[in-house]
Amino acid sequence: MTLPSPASQPRGKALRLHLALARIWASDQRIRGWFTSSNNNDIGSLFLIVATSFFVIGGILAMLIRAQLATPDSAFMEPQVYNQIFTMHGTVMMFLFAIPFFEAMSMLLLPGMLGTRDMAFPRLGAYGLWVYIFGGSAVIIAMLMGLAPDGGWFMYPPLSSAAFSPGIGADVWLLGITSIEVSAIATAIEVIVTVLRYRAAGMSLSRMPIFAWYILVVSVMILTAFPPMILGSLLLEVERALNWPFFQVENGGDPLLWQHLFWLFGHPEVYIIFLPAAGMIATILPVMARTNLLGYGWVVAAAVSLAVLSFGLWVHHMFTTGIPHMGLAFFSAASTLVAVPTSVMIFSWIGTLWKGRARMGLPMLWIMGFFATFVIGGLTGVMLAVVPFNWQVHDTHFVVAHLHYVLIGGYVFPMIAAIYYFMPLLTGRTRFFKLGEVAFWLVVPSFHITFLSVHMAGLLGQRRRTWTYDADQGWTALNLVASIASFVMAIGFALTILDVAVNAFVAVRGRRNPWGAGTLEWAGAIPSPAYGFASIPIVQGRYPLHDDPDLALHIARGEGYLGDASRIRRETLIVSTARGEPLQVVVLPGNSVLPFLLAVVTSTSFLAPLFDAYIVAGLALVAVVALALVWAWGLGGRVDEGHVDAGHGAMLPLASECRDPPGWWGSVFLLLADGVHFGSLLFGYAFLWTVAPNWPPHSYLQPQLWAVIVALTGALALTAGPRLAVRAIAKGGTAWPAITLGIVGSLALAIAAASVMLDRPGPARHAYDATLWLLAGHVGLHTILSAIMLCYLAARVAAGYASPARIGEAGIVKLWADFTVATGLVALAAAWLPGAFA
Amino acid sequence: MIDILRLSLPITVWLAGFSAVYALQGLSCSRHWPADLDARQVLLAAYAVAIVLQLIALLAVLYAPSKARFVQTTATVLAATALGAAVWTLMPVLATSVCL
Repeated sequence: MTLPSPASQPRGKALRLHLALARIWASDQRIRGWFTSSNNNDIGSLFLIVATSFFVIGGILAMLIRAQLATPDSAFMEPQVYNQIFTMHGTVMMFLFAIPFFEAMSMLLLPGMLGTRDMAFPRLGAYGLWVYIFGGSAVIIAMLMGLAPDGGWFMYPPLSSAAFSPGIGADVWLLGITSIEVSAIATAIEVIVTVLRYRAAGMSLSRMPIFAWYILVVSVMILTAFPPMILGSLLLEVERALNWPFFQVENGGDPLLWQHLFWLFGHPEVYIIFLPAAGMIATILPVMARTNLLGYGWVVAAAVSLAVLSFGLWVHHMFTTGIPHMGLAFFSAASTLVAVPTSVMIFSWIGTLWKGRARMGLPMLWIMGFFATFVIGGLTGVMLAVVPFNWQVHDTHFVVAHLHYVLIGGYVFPMIAAIYYFMPLLTGRTRFFKLGEVAFWLVVPSFHITFLSVHMAGLLGQRRRTWTYDADQGWTALNLVASIASFVMAIGFALTILDVAVNAFVAVRGRRNPWGAGTLEWAGAIPSPAYGFASIPIVQGRYPLHDDPDLALHIARGEGYLGDASRIRRETLIVSTARGEPLQVVVLPGNSVLPFLLAVVTSTSFLAPLFDAYIVAGLALVAVVALALVWAWGLGGRVDEGHVDAGHGAMLPLASECRDPPGWWGSVFLLLADGVHFGSLLFGYAFLWTVAPNWPPHSYLQPQLWAVIVALTGALALTAGPRLAVRAIAKGGTAWPAITLGIVGSLALAIAAASVMLDRPGPARHAYDATLWLLAGHVGLHTILSAIMLCYLAARVAAGYASPARIGEAGIVKLWADFTVATGLVALAAAWLPGAFA
Repeated sequence: MIDILRLSLPITVWLAGFSAVYALQGLSCSRHWPADLDARQVLLAAYAVAIVLQLIALLAVLYAPSKARFVQTTATVLAATALGAAVWTLMPVLATSVCL
């Protein structure tokens, strides 16, 4: 497939195409646009600004901590306030800054890098943004009202239980953070489907930009790491609100269960934060070194293996909890092993520098700061992986220093490099004011002075989370030095933000691709227009702009795919996952206030319980379902369009007329997260059964024959119904009998689940009873969802939205029904089997 | 999608095996473990099974190759990494005390 010569095209075509596409993809004007836009540029920019605001808040909290610790016996803060401040510092930086910041960068950059026009689910991105804003704001407002959590950012029970943390501080954390995790999962699904399906023609897996690989890996990690945390938050919140004793030893619970669930999330979280930054380095460093990335395949393999290995490390945060030596040794071995893929990346980057000719611009300076800092953080990480050393420094300031070396050195520095590197692309301006260099030289040396001192204080025995210390403990000078240097660092970060803001708004207009990069994001106009590319590029290598210097011109003239705006709708291309062959044309939704409204009611359902407004929360949940249905109803069409001209002679089907539309792919990955959540629940059940001191309970639930029969019959009907419905729609037949069969099946499964609750009416008596209620609740929730989906499908069929071609929605319902059956049967078996064999 | 599985499955098998052996070790130290069953022998058997599974995964990648060279090379590296990870991370069953 070759492109025609630029000279053969009429002049002015690019401009006409630009004007037409700009009209089609334009956001609403003025204030309305803020609430209705779903364009990746708008959503990404808002994400970036809000995340940066939270970084500033987290930084101010850090300064308060250092002010308190600067001198011994300090009266600057009361211990109660100090507890809130350090808890909020960790919470804000980890949940409100780090993850949303790279999500913002992904939204802004991914479509450009991949050669597509927007993210896969633009409205989902907008929804994630607003949920994040509401959840994050609630947490900050609670802090300003003196209602912040104070149990540390990992909220260990029993300290965080109702007995020791009365008031709503811990609830703010549990509900607020969970809502933010919902936002992160929404974004992760969007990113995965975008990377796998929304790419330029010809962009096979081996031609994908390296950042896309990293962010794909990270997004899968989010889907598998966050659900245990969401489950943990649910268990703790239910224990606090309803006294279901998951973590109360006297009633069959175990506080160690929280630590397992938290660190099943918490350790991968470190890599979830690091890997996007590594992706930025792997993107920027070769360009700054004027060469290509050395060992692309090795770096991909290292990123994948690092991601998976990181799920085998969680217990190294629990080395002092009395776990047997063999268990400790497993996790010590795994913790040392992650140094290998990390080193592969580091050596790849060093080798890239070696083979290229580096220019020491500001992005490169920050990357040099990364190398100097992250390698030290990595080495102290290996020290902490060794059990005897870990025992010595556990919960000391050594650990605090280590995690700051990894997170600031390994994340913040590369992200600042990325901001400077991509500034011309994001703002259309070239940096003019040179505050950035001053800021760099303030931040990096002062960072090392601060945290080397904190390392030393930790080695000398200073415990973390203690609000003050005595003068005779020998830590005074180290703390004073650390505090002074930390304020210099804060000034440096403030100057960086100022430099970026000033340059973004008033610097001179720049030219396209000032760094001479070879990847597609630099092929469009700067700043990137709402439609991204005037036509979908055709690529034949990993560095398309190097392969074809005229590619930008070809794209602008509409010489790629979909270079024709005559259908007046937001179209982009879907390609095959492995080879990047054009498969489908997808029509993206337009501006809508629905994501904002849905975020309002979602956040209300999370936050209303803080004020015991359970009726409001329930109503909000009903509104969530209603708005979600309205949202879904607006997609698709009532008429088969058949294949449409995508350009280059390719006639492609619309995604809505295929068996695997984007919604099907999104459901697959959402169900992956749901499955991990369910698996975490089973893990918790098995953990309590195996380890908790006050087990077994007084009696096990005895399965009733009628309930077993109802469950099996229901599972059969719910499996068969959607299948028969798909078959009927595919043949143009009547689908409602099959749909009714599915609904009856879901009701039967729900009745079986209800029988578990009715047989054990006291979930507050023992952790076993509480776990049974959660298992039954899982089944009940999913049967309700399946029933709603089946009813929705019936309505869609009746309204003419389904046809033998438009069968994707029925496939999605079948997917959810299958998941409900599979997990439902496992959950009911887990509830009944112990009693059957007892 | 098959290529994505080629890339991800062997190392995911490592995670499953690692978690399973850790769970087995936890179970072996619990009140549910039969007194007459030698925990170390069972763990050694589980270690062997984990390694064999990784070998099978590696052989599957080698003998059912992807058409895409990049995918094949990366999948082979990842499968070999998973085998090495299984050998290394579960090695404590050879040496350390089981329940102390």
